[in-house]
Amino acid sequence: MDDALPPITEDEFRRLADFLYRRTGMVFTETKRYYVERRILERIIATSSQSFAGYFAYLRSEVRNEVEHLINAFTVNETYFYREDHQLACLSADLLKERVMAKRLGDTIRIWSVPCSTGEEPYSIAIWLLENWKDVDAYDIEIVGSDIDTRVLEAAAEGIFGKRALMRLTPQLIDRYFHGLDDERWQILDDLRQSVRFSRVNLIETKETKPQGRFDVIFCRNVLIYFDDESRRVAAENLYDNLLPGGFICLGHTESMSRISPLFEVCRYSGAIVYRRPQELRA
Amino acid sequence: MSESSTKRILVIDDAALVRTYYRTALEAHGFVVEEALNGLEGLEKVLLQPFNLVIVDINMPQMDGITFLHTLRSRELPVSGIPILVISTEAGKQDMAAARRAGANYYLVKPIKQETLAEYAAIFCGAPR
Repeated sequence: MDDALPPITEDEFRRLADFLYRRTGMVFTETKRYYVERRILERIIATSSQSFAGYFAYLRSEVRNEVEHLINAFTVNETYFYREDHQLACLSADLLKERVMAKRLGDTIRIWSVPCSTGEEPYSIAIWLLENWKDVDAYDIEIVGSDIDTRVLEAAAEGIFGKRALMRLTPQLIDRYFHGLDDERWQILDDLRQSVRFSRVNLIETKETKPQGRFDVIFCRNVLIYFDDESRRVAAENLYDNLLPGGFICLGHTESMSRISPLFEVCRYSGAIVYRRPQELRA
Repeated sequence: MSESSTKRILVIDDAALVRTYYRTALEAHGFVVEEALNGLEGLEKVLLQPFNLVIVDINMPQMDGITFLHTLRSRELPVSGIPILVISTEAGKQDMAAARRAGANYYLVKPIKQETLAEYAAIFCGAPR
């Protein structure tokens, strides 16, 4: 397909990278050029544009959700159940124990998985709590999964997974919480699908994060690494506002909130480092 | 397992996660589980299908557990005679008394261990196999 179109010039690449940055906060430097070019060419062909210039004009005219299609093409979605399960262990052993101290039986506990990709993380949280948290029936647990990519949200709501996504689950867990559709695909039980609500959110758009409300625990893993300093700071501030005072946020194991924002306090538990929104101080 | 030894339990709770938690516990011990999201749907199910036990929550939308109990107990036999186990986060003496007055056989306070739930189910239904 590359033969049919002239290569994207440096100037075109820069304009597109600027556009993506303004819309998503994701930074694409020259080093990501091959990655960006591949996806742009896919979209040029998909939209039957004749050239990059033609495509870029189409993109900026905001017709037919092209911006959304392009963003979808740029997001990395492969993940699997029980990824970084030491954090899930920390959730059931430490974080929720702290959160329920100020609650009464039957109160709501809100957990946010953002970005949630095709649902592996929010459903993992649900299964983990069913298996490992003794108070799972004593609180009203609300799990929300959000992502910028609308395609993955549809897939997440459907809850169908292949072998790779399930590789870390034991056969017993798969039997208990999924039903097989064929040799290659399993669908998560209806009750679990109903226990997670999905919504589209761009983390650097406060008007999109705010309506999600405040959470007891947020899982925000391996997304801030795609942002530059400024977007990262905006995202961190939004996440802070989405936490209840005393609420926790878990990042990917290579990420550090201390480098991004001074708003949070670091908490070390046996299994993981997590960050916390300080309890509100009385004036 | 023969047809006659199958023990059927209806779980009525508005929280999907809680229903899954009870269902997996009970199914692991051989019980057959049906679910309802509130008292109204629960009532519909007991009128249509036979159950050996109903497990019901108190706080639910549409029809709460106490109203469900009152309504079920005012029906004809055999529907009105189904054993009912209430499981709720409401732990006050007055809550238990209200459930008992409405016709609950027994009252457990959440959280419940899966093993414990299965033991109580077996007490009410007999062992499933």
